[in-house]
Amino acid sequence: MKAAMNTPVRGWRDRVFSAVAFLFVSVFIVFVLVLILADVFYVDRKAVMTVLSSKFILHALWMSTWTSVLSTLIALLFAVPMGYALSRFRFPGHILADAVVDLPIVFPPLVVGLTLLVFFSQTALGRWIQEDLGLEFVFQPKGIVLCQFVAAASFAIRSAKTAFDDVDRRYEHVALTLGCTQWGSFRRVSLPLARNGIIAGGILTWARAFGLFGPLMIFVGSFRGRTEVLSTTIFLEQSVGNLEVALAIALLLIFVALIAVTGIRLAGGSTLVKL
Amino acid sequence: MIRAENISFRVGTFRLQGLNLEIAKGEYFVLLGPPGAGKTIFLECLCGLKKVESGRIHIDRRDVTGLEPRTRGIGYVPQDYALFPHLSVEQNIAFGLRAHGYSDVKVDETADLLGIRRLLSRRIGGLSGGEKQRVALARALVLKPKILLLDEPVCALDEVTRQEVCAQLLAIQRRLGLTTVHVSHNLEEAFSVADRAAILHDGILQQVGPLNILLRKPNSEFVARFMRSENIFSAEVTGKDAGDTDTLVRVAGVDLHIPGRHGGKLLFMIRPEDVLVHPGPHPAVGQNALRARLVRSRDCGGYVRVELDGPFNLVAHITHAAFAQLEHKHESDVIAELSPESVHVLPG
Repeated sequence: MKAAMNTPVRGWRDRVFSAVAFLFVSVFIVFVLVLILADVFYVDRKAVMTVLSSKFILHALWMSTWTSVLSTLIALLFAVPMGYALSRFRFPGHILADAVVDLPIVFPPLVVGLTLLVFFSQTALGRWIQEDLGLEFVFQPKGIVLCQFVAAASFAIRSAKTAFDDVDRRYEHVALTLGCTQWGSFRRVSLPLARNGIIAGGILTWARAFGLFGPLMIFVGSFRGRTEVLSTTIFLEQSVGNLEVALAIALLLIFVALIAVTGIRLAGGSTLVKL
Repeated sequence: MIRAENISFRVGTFRLQGLNLEIAKGEYFVLLGPPGAGKTIFLECLCGLKKVESGRIHIDRRDVTGLEPRTRGIGYVPQDYALFPHLSVEQNIAFGLRAHGYSDVKVDETADLLGIRRLLSRRIGGLSGGEKQRVALARALVLKPKILLLDEPVCALDEVTRQEVCAQLLAIQRRLGLTTVHVSHNLEEAFSVADRAAILHDGILQQVGPLNILLRKPNSEFVARFMRSENIFSAEVTGKDAGDTDTLVRVAGVDLHIPGRHGGKLLFMIRPEDVLVHPGPHPAVGQNALRARLVRSRDCGGYVRVELDGPFNLVAHITHAAFAQLEHKHESDVIAELSPESVHVLPG
């Protein structure tokens, strides 16, 4: 009733406009649901039981989960200061830096894996990191996190920059006159006001990292019980003809992603539901 | 208390140029000017939110030119208030106290001063314009600043609330003895609060002084027009009067007496409220009395604005009582009297 009272009086043209917009929403949602339902009806009980009882698949689920969460946290660690700096400061090469942030989004995913592989196996710096520093990434679980970070961090940084762009600088100015340092005004004003945008970027980053496939196959491979994640398991199962099992794993991946994304919105309260 | 010496600041094509201003302790000073004149930029220079290109700013005999905003001892209320939308009213007011590590006990005291204690638990989004203005003022005042800078503090309010808030601003300023700089483009607002005022135009300070001086003795055509002097005329000096104290000038073929001794060509003005309009022909037609025709009138509430067509066009603001005597004279002759004492020659 309250929403109806807040709606302006509308003529038939407005109703047609709303109906067209809603039509697009409906078509897209129905299309996605039909695709998922097609998988649901294709998968039999045996395949589901295979997935739920396989320790390798459950291990892949665990690997997918922790690596994607960790890579998202690292991405956010970079995204917040980078988004703020790109939003607030003008420096030589600012436009180039801004463009470089978007590069991993534009790369075909395979290129991320190839580039990382070439860097760590073919360059002196890469070999030094792996061999002398002892930080081994190629074909290692750590490599999953690095791969996900490179492929997905741009979403977090771009979202954080946009979120800080949307925070009116006058709020920061007032905070400065009220006794804050620049760090204080960032912590107490800019960051809370940009919170929703940063979380939205985090969700995108996590979603990209959780479902990442191509670069992982190249950079870390898919070793059972070691570097296997859900997306690579799906590929391996379907490549040996276990299509029902592959689809059952895909449904598991979709289910976990849906729970996580919806859960973040609900946990964040009414403001995050708007994301 | 505040001394700005030769302040210059450039942003894009706009430039604040060599601005000098001194504001006394406890003074309520209004900075007037049209939009884009540089008023907000000057205020932000005082706050330290903009770094001046050249010049010095002294506050309370201390050079603060290179100091951060937080150490200048200034309370600042920006245009549209910039209240933090993620905080409650109480948290907004306490913001400065917490930033300085003080306790929140002064929040209630300040809220009482502004009569907003009942709003303390509210969110910012649900406040009216007047309430937001008071909260922003409380947030600035809670730290007990020496100087209060207000950027168009009442421009978003309706007429009645604006008058109320202006009265409250002045009362608080007097009570706390705060040196206040109030930026505005509105003359009525300035008259309701100002001890002194300045007019800024295109980044240049045009005139500083009490408002009645800006009103009656403007130093330029711009100031005269900004102060709504509609009767500004160019004239040519034709001679002196018999007493040698006034000058005779000719405007549109009519000889007029203006005070003082002048030569050549000049600009003079007379305020609309100083033009006397009599039902004509007036029995005692004296100096500077012109025959004119009343062509238009508009009821402006407290007075009636009449437009007269004579040797030259004149605007007069007259009382309703005076207008009642003229009402049947529309499109007919009246006498407009320009008292020489009310004529002001604009410095050329």
